[in-house]
Amino acid sequence: MLTYLVKRLMVSIVVLLGIALGTFLMIHLIPGDPAKIELGIHATPAAVEHLHHEWGLNRSLPEQFWLYLGNIVTFNFGQSTAFSSGVSELIGERVGPTAILLIYGILISLVIGVPLAILAALRQGGWIDNAIRVLTTFTFAMPPFWLGLMLSLLLGFELKLFPVSGYESGISGIFRTLTLPALTIGLGLLVIVVRNLRANLVTVLNSEYIEAARARGYSQLRIVGKHAMRNSVISTITILASLFGFLVGLLVLVESVFQIPGAATLLVQAVAKRDYQLVQTLVFLSGAVVVVIAFVTDIVHAWLDPRVRLAGRG
Amino acid sequence: MRKLLLIGAMGALLALLVSACGGSSGGGTISVAKEGEGKAVNAACEEEPVAGGTLTYARQLETVTLNPREIKNGNGDIFADEMLYNGIVRNDPSGADKVVPGLAESWDISKDGLTYTFHLQKGLKYSDGSPLTAEDIAWNLEQFRNPKINTVLAAIAVGMESAKATNENTVVVKLEHPVAAFLYNLSIYPAFIVDKEKLEQEGEAFWKHPIGTGPFRLKEFASGSHITFEKNPYYFEKGKPYLQTMRWNFVPNSNTRVLDLKSGEAQMADGIPFAQVSSLQGESGLAIQQVELPQEVLMVTNTKVPALADPHVRRALSLAVNRDQLNEAVFRGTGTVPNSVIQNFELDASDKEVPAFEYNVAKAKEELAASKFAKGFTVSLQYPAGLDYFKQMALLVQQEMGAIGVTVKLEELEAATIAEQWLEGEFELTFPFTGTSSDVPVPDEYAAFYALPEAELDGFKSFWTNSEIEGLVKKFVSSTDEAGRKGEWKIIQEKFNEEMPSLNVMDFPLINGHQSNVCATKANGLGVDQLQETWISKKSS
Repeated sequence: MLTYLVKRLMVSIVVLLGIALGTFLMIHLIPGDPAKIELGIHATPAAVEHLHHEWGLNRSLPEQFWLYLGNIVTFNFGQSTAFSSGVSELIGERVGPTAILLIYGILISLVIGVPLAILAALRQGGWIDNAIRVLTTFTFAMPPFWLGLMLSLLLGFELKLFPVSGYESGISGIFRTLTLPALTIGLGLLVIVVRNLRANLVTVLNSEYIEAARARGYSQLRIVGKHAMRNSVISTITILASLFGFLVGLLVLVESVFQIPGAATLLVQAVAKRDYQLVQTLVFLSGAVVVVIAFVTDIVHAWLDPRVRLAGRG
Repeated sequence: MRKLLLIGAMGALLALLVSACGGSSGGGTISVAKEGEGKAVNAACEEEPVAGGTLTYARQLETVTLNPREIKNGNGDIFADEMLYNGIVRNDPSGADKVVPGLAESWDISKDGLTYTFHLQKGLKYSDGSPLTAEDIAWNLEQFRNPKINTVLAAIAVGMESAKATNENTVVVKLEHPVAAFLYNLSIYPAFIVDKEKLEQEGEAFWKHPIGTGPFRLKEFASGSHITFEKNPYYFEKGKPYLQTMRWNFVPNSNTRVLDLKSGEAQMADGIPFAQVSSLQGESGLAIQQVELPQEVLMVTNTKVPALADPHVRRALSLAVNRDQLNEAVFRGTGTVPNSVIQNFELDASDKEVPAFEYNVAKAKEELAASKFAKGFTVSLQYPAGLDYFKQMALLVQQEMGAIGVTVKLEELEAATIAEQWLEGEFELTFPFTGTSSDVPVPDEYAAFYALPEAELDGFKSFWTNSEIEGLVKKFVSSTDEAGRKGEWKIIQEKFNEEMPSLNVMDFPLINGHQSNVCATKANGLGVDQLQETWISKKSS
């Protein structure tokens, strides 16, 4: 088990380094100079030079990359050029609403999706199964921008059940202001949860050990709830984690429509202004989240399933 | 078979659901209330202003920093600064292109235009009650003069030599050479006055809770979400502001902004999309306002491209564009066909003296025939992504130029990339900005950008030069003869139109909306909301 852990850790670190390098290169190589963007028509050579110096952009690329790595390791993420704040401070303020929104959205997709998946799997091939699959594909295909606006219009503007936009902290504030955005995200993710879980359940339900459990007279509830789900859930969560990039894109759109002051919006603004420090840090942190989730799920998987542990050895 | 029927039925149901949510499509011209025009909706505003109340304003641009000498997000920052600070003089709150008293109640200018003596208002205080001295003002103006501090707009401080407080009520500013627009230059954000003592004590942290002299003071600033102001009890205009508090929500998404206004979650909203103006006009209880300011849609022509080096060709391109149609189709009638290459100012000659740019395909072809490119040519046009109306405009221009034999290749690019390529001169035709607006309500800034080499903008990146116009503009911007400037400008305006270093496609306004019980929603000549004048009527109309 230990060798497995160490191996996975090494791989994770290499991946993180790769993410850092990749983002750094990408944001630096696309056209667009943050000093010229800020100065606009007033970008005289002297003014541009002055800002380059102030922002450390007159240093060589390798030097800048080295500084960036140093920032990551010491958790001091530098100054944002597009906003007049430290990067850590800025992200700290904004990551809260995004994280809550994401978790709330995933919860909604699970709360709606898991029962639907189970239903579809148990009635495989029937009209309920087909209806569920068509409906979830439909909500997935709806552009989140449009879906969000429609929910805002219908439930917010017409029925006045929720505010049209904005974010409030606190438990009641979150329920009031984040329900519609989370619903938009949840509906978008629904198909992934439903299809994936359903497919896994179908496979598992047809396997021998389930047949054995049925032969032993276990109730349907015990079979599905305990034995089948345990084997199916992990892959669903892993898929959601691997779709993190897609999730960020979804978050950007939803945050825009509902005007949630979140980190996804911050990322888009940072790219538009070529705020290197902010972009690099945000992307790196997102990558780190995925890597950590993958690492943890691998460990949990290994712990739950002895076959993985044994295979990992040697 | 059953499966097929089922799928068909579901499909039909879903299609029905989707279509039911379709919105209306506006079209055609609308009449928008220009500032100051009386309409029935203003019945609620007929009485005397009442103090008190909270205004929620849904704003298109986010405020990112409150340091007026380090603007990061254009009007997002500028408009907030205008609430928290004042300059020694101000732009007329009623919208005229002139300067009125600010922290100075009067001033004298020496005959040679080199010495400005400002007499300050009595009893000035900062928003925390501490006294404001002439020294503070002089210090702030020295900050304004320093290009290392005033990095973004250092150009408008050029010519200033010093600012000194000669006694407790007087500040004397000396110039190295006359600058005709100097008072205007002092009326905008880089020359705003902030609390020197606190800034020196707190350093960067000062900008999180800055102290100024503006009509409002900062109550709360939540990055990315909103900024809240409260009335400044020490504001030098007695009785104002009327509003007790003001909350600006940052809502960059235009659909959400409009929904906020319609639902009443916001009482005011800016950046109303042209396409939605007519539908909002139809709502009772809402008023739409056209805010005029010196703002144009500018198409820069790179005169390094052989075809574009010839003024015949540039004039031909301008004559080929049907600006009236563009105004209807894209701006829904809110634009104005320009008669000047740069934005429109009160100082401009009127349409009667200098005709507006006409649409004349025959003349365009004649101009083209007089050039070496009579058979036409191919050219690329870059335009910024993200705005449907810009795409529409680019397509119309492509079509119209095609009619005179000029093949236009369209390139849609992200805003930051387009601006960068414009700065580097890597374009043939380009719309570098969605709106190009002047920082001051006089043509000096942009005339200098085009005509004067010292502006270091290579003719606003058109790489056009003209020594005659350069001489005229040099004289114009350093003229000490206020009355003579109008005549001087008319000549320059005509010559610019003749040379056409770039195309002014349209002069267009800002469009704001508000509930009809929000009164006196004025803006100054630069389009800045004068919210110290605004009040909320208890009557709903």
